[in-house]
This record gives sequence, structure tokens and C-alpha cells, in this order.
Amino acid sequence: MLFNSIHFLIFFPIVTILFYLLKHKWRWVLLFFASTYFYSAFYLPYILILYVIIIIDYICGLLIEKSENKLKLFWLILSIVSNIGLLAYFKYYNFFVDVFIDFVPNIKHISIILPIGLSFHTFQSLSYTIEVYKGNQKAEKHIGYFANYVLFFPQMVAGPIETYARLGNELKTKHKFKYKNIASGLRLILYGLFVKMCIADNFAPLVNDFYNNPTQFHFAYAWLALFAFSVQIYADFYGYSTIAIGAAKLLGIELMNNFNQPYFANSFYQFWQRWHISLTTWFRNYVFFPLGGSYVNWFKWIFNILLVFALSGFWHGANYTFIIWGLAHGVFYLIEKQFFKIVPININSNKFLKAFGGLITFLLVTLIWVLFRAENVGKAIAVFKQCFSYSLITKNQLTVNFETAFLFFLFLFFEILIYKSRFDFYIKELNVFIRWAVYTTLILCIVLFSGIQSFQFIYFQF
Amino acid sequence: MKKLFYKFILTLLIVFCCLAIANFIYTKYYYKNDIKILDATMLQKIDSLQNICDVLYFAESSNGTVSNNDTCQLAISEMIDELSPLKVGAIDHGAVHARSYLQLIKNIKPNSKVKTLIITLNSRSFGSPWINSQVETNLSQADIIYEPSLPIIKRLKLAFNYYDNKSVEFRNLMNEKNWSEQKLNVPKNFPYKTVRQWDNAMANGTYLLPDGKWDSPKISLACHYIKTYAFSIDTNSNPRIKNFDEIVELANEKKLNLVFHLLAENMQYADSLVGKELVNIMNENKQLLIDRYTKKGVTVVNSFNLVNGKDFIDQDWTTEHYNQTGRWILAKNVLKFLR
Repeated sequence: MLFNSIHFLIFFPIVTILFYLLKHKWRWVLLFFASTYFYSAFYLPYILILYVIIIIDYICGLLIEKSENKLKLFWLILSIVSNIGLLAYFKYYNFFVDVFIDFVPNIKHISIILPIGLSFHTFQSLSYTIEVYKGNQKAEKHIGYFANYVLFFPQMVAGPIETYARLGNELKTKHKFKYKNIASGLRLILYGLFVKMCIADNFAPLVNDFYNNPTQFHFAYAWLALFAFSVQIYADFYGYSTIAIGAAKLLGIELMNNFNQPYFANSFYQFWQRWHISLTTWFRNYVFFPLGGSYVNWFKWIFNILLVFALSGFWHGANYTFIIWGLAHGVFYLIEKQFFKIVPININSNKFLKAFGGLITFLLVTLIWVLFRAENVGKAIAVFKQCFSYSLITKNQLTVNFETAFLFFLFLFFEILIYKSRFDFYIKELNVFIRWAVYTTLILCIVLFSGIQSFQFIYFQF
Repeated sequence: MKKLFYKFILTLLIVFCCLAIANFIYTKYYYKNDIKILDATMLQKIDSLQNICDVLYFAESSNGTVSNNDTCQLAISEMIDELSPLKVGAIDHGAVHARSYLQLIKNIKPNSKVKTLIITLNSRSFGSPWINSQVETNLSQADIIYEPSLPIIKRLKLAFNYYDNKSVEFRNLMNEKNWSEQKLNVPKNFPYKTVRQWDNAMANGTYLLPDGKWDSPKISLACHYIKTYAFSIDTNSNPRIKNFDEIVELANEKKLNLVFHLLAENMQYADSLVGKELVNIMNENKQLLIDRYTKKGVTVVNSFNLVNGKDFIDQDWTTEHYNQTGRWILAKNVLKFLR
């Protein structure tokens, strides 16, 4: 079920009302069935994959807690292999067939749809068994609560990837009906819908037009399309996350912030502290630190950084473009680190340096997004060529209409206003008339200017 | 609690005012552009033609597609118009089907001049490839525009995905599932029980070809005939049956004469390329449609076998596009039943 659907606008109020009407001890049942229904709306049979993940990791969690030494490690490995195995089969099988088709006889592609959000579920569920193994988390005895941790519908298909310590406990806590939670949640949902429907969906056709045939456009249009994709991908994922946080908030449940104005970052280091925070945290805790983190020799450290970035790219999709995208971020991250070692300046100490750093970071991030958006490496190279061709010969044009430009600047205005806050917190402090003027503007924008064509949330495919 | 109630009422009031203002702005400045973007041009056709025509001819591309070699470039509906004393207008658009016609018919006002509706009954549109076609999402969006409701409501439905917006991958999977799982109504000794088995056998050359050795374009065309026409209509679950049934009910409500024009298919090629098993399946579907809708009181014009293979414009694909000879044959056949 999509957040920006009438289906959800009917489903969610019913769940919220039932949630507060039910006694706390029965709420997990409601959330379990609501989440199952929510996910089944995409494609019914795939809910079984989630049930398999839940059962395996629930049992593994209990067994890890009871076991010691090698047996304990065995249960953890079983959990990792099961989760990664499912991911490998559904997401990466055809990619590996392409890689090994010349070496393995009779290997064939499979006709399959990738279950929506599979990478999110598996990583979230894995974080639980790993934490139980490390002794930081007690194994959950109640399978219903554990199931809801994996299935919790506001964040199940595109995160944020939560730890059991946070979301599991939030789900267990008795949440009373509070007006401030309802108001706060609704504000976030409204803003999230605006960001997704008015910004992401209006920039999407422009980006698609360009990427369908990049050689038809001259370099200025190529840069416009690159900039548009930067806006689209951010608005798409940020919009989704904001709605997810808002929807959970209505139920009294606090989810972590997944974004913190990443395009205002003035370095790659800062960018990764602000973009898809939950995934960055996951890779840091469960891949980078176990590899030795920064407490290793220089060569190992470089290897670790590149490996983590490459894996994070591969997590997004079974394509070389994603791996190169991750590696490109890793390379720039390393260059930046080395640069600041040689030139010991504090970029945050000077406004000019800060702005310069921000501009460079944004331009490079925008350029690297090409690898994320292009269907294959060949197309990415074609786009890069167009960006630096400096030819003014064009067969087609990209147009940004007045409404899209207006929406973009409105979005930018809001983002600057909430730079040090969150939309719901910021709005709460405003005068009642201004507050309602903002609501009215957002509603009118959604009704009048949301993209006429529907584009699925980009991160659903991951 | 009282305060909360007032706030709730105030919120509703503001949302309602927003919608009223939005409807005014949208209708005045944006609605026409959205119709253009979604290619929902049949709405304008029905709005203008219902006041001047006695008969409306609802069709997909079969109506207006002409061959470059045709000396007569008239559409089927225009030919009927020429032959008949009644004024006939066409509500047509490529790739549309009964669901769109249903929405459009809802727009016919009680005081309109229209007395009769002729609707193409395209047997291919009941098959899985058309039902799960990649253009379904676009057609579903256009269908929202065709609904007789406030423009802002249509805009909201479009914005909030209130239409069939399944992904292309999902549609392809459904199609493949149908081809692999749905059992064909073929004789017991026929070795291929599903479209997938039959198609594979044809593609691999293991199927006994009716016409000796073939080149690969011909095999590819034969495979396409199997995938397009080898299906049995399940009247309980086929969405197109549901659409046509609803059209019958709606026409009865609106007291309009209803004529279903069962379009000609290239039976000669189906026979020579694939064989009698496919022809039998196609004929069974034809008979089912004729029987079902005749029983419901609809005049069914049967043009199924009327056009020769050579009079189909597309000789390397399965379509219902006819050259002028084919179109005149169909127009004259419809005219026999037109009151």
C-alpha cells in the first residue's frame, strides 16, 4: 500500500482509532494484522517471505541467548545466512547469473519480482540477532512483538532501519492517546505528502525524459536533469521517511530521523551523517566496526572504507552502477579525509569555507547520482559525456514550468526554516494563523500541483 | 474533548474550503492540460458528439486505422454514417477497451440526442496480454478523467493513486502466470495444455507445423497468435466480461439501444500458422460472447469471420486493423442491424 493513496488514507485512520480503543495487551495483534494487510496490498504471496524471516530470527535470537561459544556463533551465522540468502535469491540471483553465465553451464535467469523493501526487512531483522549475539539485547520471548518489529507498517518498506532496542521497546510501551502526538504526526504526514507528491513527482518526468535518451539534450539540459534528480531522490525518500515518522507518531511511536538536510552538508563526511542515517549507522555498527574500524593500519583502513561504501552501494541494487556509486562516494570521502589531514583547516570556522565546501559537496554528490539513476554503466558514461560535451546542439528540450519552480522554492524555503529543527516542532511554535496558513498552502499545493503521473517511491525497490 | 471536537470541525471546514477554492482554480486553469497529458481526449468527443449524433460508435484503433494503399480513408464509423440516414459519431482511441467505454457512457446526459450505442466487442481484449498490458496504467488514469464527477475529485483520485497503477514488472509476471497456469480448452490428446507449453513447443520447432518448414519471423508470428488468442474466457473472473455486463446494465438504465460489434479476427492466419486447435478456441470464445450478450438482450453483430487474411493491414502482427475492403465489409454488416 502506498502512503500517497486513498487506500492508505482510509486504512490508517481506522488502524489509529482501533489502536487507541484497544487494550494495550491486544494492540500487537492489531498492528500485526494491519502490517500484514499493508504489505499484502503490494503482492500477497510475498508476506510469506517476511514470515520466514520473522520465524528464523525469532528462533535464532532465543537460541543465541541460550547457547555459548561455537554454538552461539552457529545460530548467528544461520540467521545471517538465512537473511542474506533470501536477499541474494530474490535481489541478486539474476545479477550473479549475468556475472557467471560464461563460467557456469546451464545457469538461467529467473522471472521474479523483487519483494518490496526486502533489503530493509533483512537488515533490520539481522540487527536484532547480531545485538542478541553481542549481548546488548535480550532475546524477545513474545513472537508477536518481534513480528511487529520486522513488520511495523509505517517503516517496513523503506525504513528507517531501526534497532530492536528502539523500535521493539517503543512497540512494547503503552502509548496513551495524546493530542500533541496526533497533531505532530499529522503535520509530518502533511509535509511528507507535499514533499513526495509535489516535489519528487513533479521532478520525476523531467528526469525520466532526460535519462530515456540523454544524447538528445545538450550539456545545460544535462546539468538541469542531474540537479532535478538530486532534488527528486531526496524529496522522494525524505518525503517517505517523514510520512513514516508521522504515521508512527500518531500511534505514539517515535522513529529515528533518517535525514538531516543532507544537501546542506559541507563535506562528504557530513553528508553521510545526514543522508539515510539509519543505513549508515547499520553499516558502521555491523560492518565497519567489526572490520576494525579506524583502529587498523592505513591500508586496511582505506580498504575498510571502500568495502563499506561498495557494500552500501550494492545494498541498493544488483547492478554495477550501484557498486561504482558507492565506491565513488568512498573515494571522495577518503580524498577529503586525506586533504584535511594535509591542510588542517576547520571548515566550519569560516562562512566562506563552509559555503564553498557545501557547494563542492553538493555538485559532486549530484554528479555521482548519475550512477545511481542510470540503468547501466554505458548509460551513465553517456550522461557524463553530455554533461561535459559543451555542445549546444539539442534535439529535445527540458522545461520546468512555473508551478514546479514555485513548489521547489517553497520547499527550499521550508527546508531553510526547519534547518535546525523538524517540521512538526517548528510549526508547533508558530502563531495559530500562520500555522493554519501553512497547512492551507500545503493542502492546496497537494491538491492542485501534485504530479499527475504516479511514481512509486524510489527506495521501495531496495 | 470539546476543544478537540471544535478543532476537528474547524479542520474539516478548512479542508472543505480548500477543496472548493482548489476546484475553481483547477477547473479554470489546469484541467484541460491534465486531459491533454493523460491523453483522455474521448471526454471532449463525448461532450460534443452526444448533442449532434443519433448513434455513437465506441471503438479502439480498429475504427480509424487505415492503410496507406487505401483510396478510401474513411473510418468504419464514417462508412456507417455514409450508408445510414442516422448521424453516427465515433468515440475512439487506440488501445482502449470496455472499461473506458463504461466510464464514457456515464457521461451521456438524459437529454442527449443519442439513441443507440455501437460498441466494439474485441475478443482479443478478453485475453491476458491485453488485460495485463503495459498501457493499463495510462488507460486507468484516463478512465478517472472520464468519470462524471467534479474535476477536483478526479485530480485527487489521480494524485492519491486511486487507479490501477501496478508496475510493469507485476503485469508481466501476471501475464506469465496466466500463460503458465491457465489450462487451455484443447482435446485430451493435444500435448500442450497451457499457452507457455504450446508457445515453447512452437518456438523450439517441436510443435508439428501445419505448413512444413518455416522461417523464424513466421514462427515468431505463430507464437504471437498463440499468446494472444489461446485463452478461454472465464465469465466469473474476466474483468472485461464484468465491464461489458456493466455497460449492458447502464445502457438499460439510460434506455439506450445497445449493439455489440464483434470484430473480425484473422482466422485464416490463425489456422494456417497454428492450426485447428487455436481456431477452435477462438470460435468457442466468439460463441460464448454472442450467446451471453444475446441472452442479455443486446444486438450482437457478428463480424468475426468476415474479413479475409489479406484484408488485415498488419500482416506480421495480430491486430484488428483492416484495409478499406475490410472496413466496408464491417460497416455494411453493422448497418444491417442498425435501427
